Amino acid sequence: MTYTRRLTLAHLWFGFAAFAVAAVLGAWQMWARSPLPAPFLTAESYFTSVTAHGTTMAYVMPTFVIMGFGYYVAETALGRPLPGQLWAWLGFALGVVGALMATVTVFAGRATVLYTFYPPLTGSPFYYLGVVLVVVGSWVWCVLMIVAMAGWKRANPGRPVPLAMFATVANAVLWLWTSAGVAAELLFQVIPAAFGWNPAVDVGLSRTLFSWTLHAIVYFWLIPSYIAFYTIAPQAAGGRLYSDTMGRLTFILFLIYSLPVGIHHLLMDPEQSNAFKFLQVSFTALVAAPTLLTVFTIAASMEIAGRLCGGRGLFGWIAALPWDRPMVLATGLAFFMLWFGGLGGLVNMSYGMNAMVHNTSWVTAHFHLIFGGTAVIMYFAIAYTIWPTLTGRTPASLRAQRIQLWLWFVGMMVVTLPWHYLGLQGQWRRVATFDYHNPIIAAWGPWVVVSLVGGIILLASALLFVWNLLEFHRAGAVAEEGRPLYALAVHPPRRVPSTLNGFALWNVLVLVLMAAAYGYPIAQFFLIDPPQAIWHRVDGGRER
Amino acid sequence: MIRADPEALDRPWRIWASIIIVSVLAFSVVFGFLVIPVIQGYAAGIGPYTAICRAIGVAPGAPPARQPRSEAQAQPTTQVAWSVELLRRLSHPAPAGAEVAAGCAPCHGERGIAPDPQFPNLEGQSAAAIYKELHDYKSGSRVNDIMTGMAQALEDQQILDVAAHFASSTAQAVDPTTVPITDALVVRLVERGDPTRGLPACNACHGATAGGPIETPTLSRQSQDYLGRQLHAFKNGDRRNDIYTRMRSIASKLTNREIEALAAFYATTSTY
Repeated sequence: MTYTRRLTLAHLWFGFAAFAVAAVLGAWQMWARSPLPAPFLTAESYFTSVTAHGTTMAYVMPTFVIMGFGYYVAETALGRPLPGQLWAWLGFALGVVGALMATVTVFAGRATVLYTFYPPLTGSPFYYLGVVLVVVGSWVWCVLMIVAMAGWKRANPGRPVPLAMFATVANAVLWLWTSAGVAAELLFQVIPAAFGWNPAVDVGLSRTLFSWTLHAIVYFWLIPSYIAFYTIAPQAAGGRLYSDTMGRLTFILFLIYSLPVGIHHLLMDPEQSNAFKFLQVSFTALVAAPTLLTVFTIAASMEIAGRLCGGRGLFGWIAALPWDRPMVLATGLAFFMLWFGGLGGLVNMSYGMNAMVHNTSWVTAHFHLIFGGTAVIMYFAIAYTIWPTLTGRTPASLRAQRIQLWLWFVGMMVVTLPWHYLGLQGQWRRVATFDYHNPIIAAWGPWVVVSLVGGIILLASALLFVWNLLEFHRAGAVAEEGRPLYALAVHPPRRVPSTLNGFALWNVLVLVLMAAAYGYPIAQFFLIDPPQAIWHRVDGGRER
Repeated sequence: MIRADPEALDRPWRIWASIIIVSVLAFSVVFGFLVIPVIQGYAAGIGPYTAICRAIGVAPGAPPARQPRSEAQAQPTTQVAWSVELLRRLSHPAPAGAEVAAGCAPCHGERGIAPDPQFPNLEGQSAAAIYKELHDYKSGSRVNDIMTGMAQALEDQQILDVAAHFASSTAQAVDPTTVPITDALVVRLVERGDPTRGLPACNACHGATAGGPIETPTLSRQSQDYLGRQLHAFKNGDRRNDIYTRMRSIASKLTNREIEALAAFYATTSTY
């Protein structure tokens, strides 16, 4: 039982409850795009739903889950109480108020601008202020994570910070860097416009600032899953982590190479030049390095576990793994989805191929597989693993948890494989309805219906997940106390170089890379006099 | 056992990490900023200096291609170009607007409600919508026996003033005795369009919270006769001042019955 039990539970429950609501919207959106007649469907209701789904799934759910899990790791991995718990509750309150403010505004039809904002569209300021409050709440978390690690290091000079906490702080540092872009866009461009204070916007600058955030935010979402891969999954499988150093390098590489790469989201945009696109794409290619390091290290860790379980031969260890444990099962399924999502991502980052799939369902498929698939299935597994320590209870059978994970995996594949195919056929993103009487588009229809089936499977899995969490609170069986959660490394580190035990050097290098990658691309908007776009209100504001 | 000096253990990590990362940066800069643009520029007959400037973004164009320069003269559908300054002036009604408006009253009514249904109501329209149409009459983008002459007699400033005047003085003039004429087919067209014919919802641009162009007119409480004639004019190509032929392509797909039903619907509703 942890000191921060209520804090962690509050964050995770709020995040997962929002997730369940957004899952309903996601399934309805698939219905809307399919040839089958969907209820409540107008273009306005579709974009309201997409905005609410995106805002919840991208800003609310992951942020709360990451914060809750971070507080949990800070206490359990460091073995000392979390500093500044009142501040943590304040951050939680800011986030809850912000999330409610943003979603109520969206459902009131006052901010159907999609979660990526798309200036010069603008809506009610309450939507943007809500998002800002969520981000500010997460900044409180970032500071607390850094303070917690610094306090531990002072108390334990020369000792390596436990990997789970090192990675959590890497994520906090990453998020502080990451959120600066969108914060600048919101505070200096979008929110003043929503209040009617500035008449026009440089859309190129907004898109560039958003690109600063748009790629690294995915790593912010992914890192908890990688923490589970490195520190929880090997233990759950009954083995050891193959290499602690490899884990540290992975999280450092994520910090460095997920930031100066966002312009690969603007490859088709005219406001950035070829050389900066090349520079950022070359950094993007390096993001594959920590992923491949992880695939190797976790496969090696699992092989250790499999062989300890009696597995023999070249692949016999795979069958010998304890797949009945949700954490092990989720890790296997997450890796499977990571391959598909990663390969799709290689297409997206390649200039020529990206031109073919730009703004198509292919891209939607890619980020649903990486985030909705790999990251979120590990959120489930993390919840299943830590919930017994939070409630002190555990259900007698794990069968419902395994079914839920399989449903999520199957649903995600059934949703996204047709999206990839339809993207190659040219099916657009962000479109409410299609003309299925057109013979070319009619051929898409059956595949969209397949995706709808996938969406319903995902919805069933999401609801079963919430049910499974409730089971932890209702169960009679008492969870075992004191079972170690985090995996030991094969060679537990007794001392690591300070560069692998902190972030000072890496922050300097991030600064160098960001200055090179984003310095001129942002400065150009102030050096030349670019054309500005007049804001366009979607909330019936001043012009109409 | 000799304990290693922590600082000595750390130094190679610091140095090598920095060297590797800066080397990757240097590699990308050399290739992206120099080698590739020069080679691409050479293939396209562009000098190395220009190619590098283009790659960095300090000169317009891309290194791999000559900038095609079209000799064709653009023929815009309308001469109106929205700017912050124009919108600012439209949002500040001047007293001069009322004087110009006196000349409009015989046909459009003192409060913007036309006494004769062949003329449009100006009540409830935005300044941008009125400005756009008057300007189009003046420039010849839109043609009408009466209005072309009226608009050509006006100075630009007068057009601004009268548009701002009507937008600011007539917004609340609603006739409470109107009985709405609704029809499921029409409501469907207004709210959902008809994807099977590539028809967007009318609401997508004309709705109160819509994302349509700034000059999109309000259709609620417009004269039925006027609305029907405009849709027919778009349909047969007599009216051509819609950017990207938006309304011409929409109206050409509407049946005559739908046009009449839409005109009747909008004339009697105040909620869209």
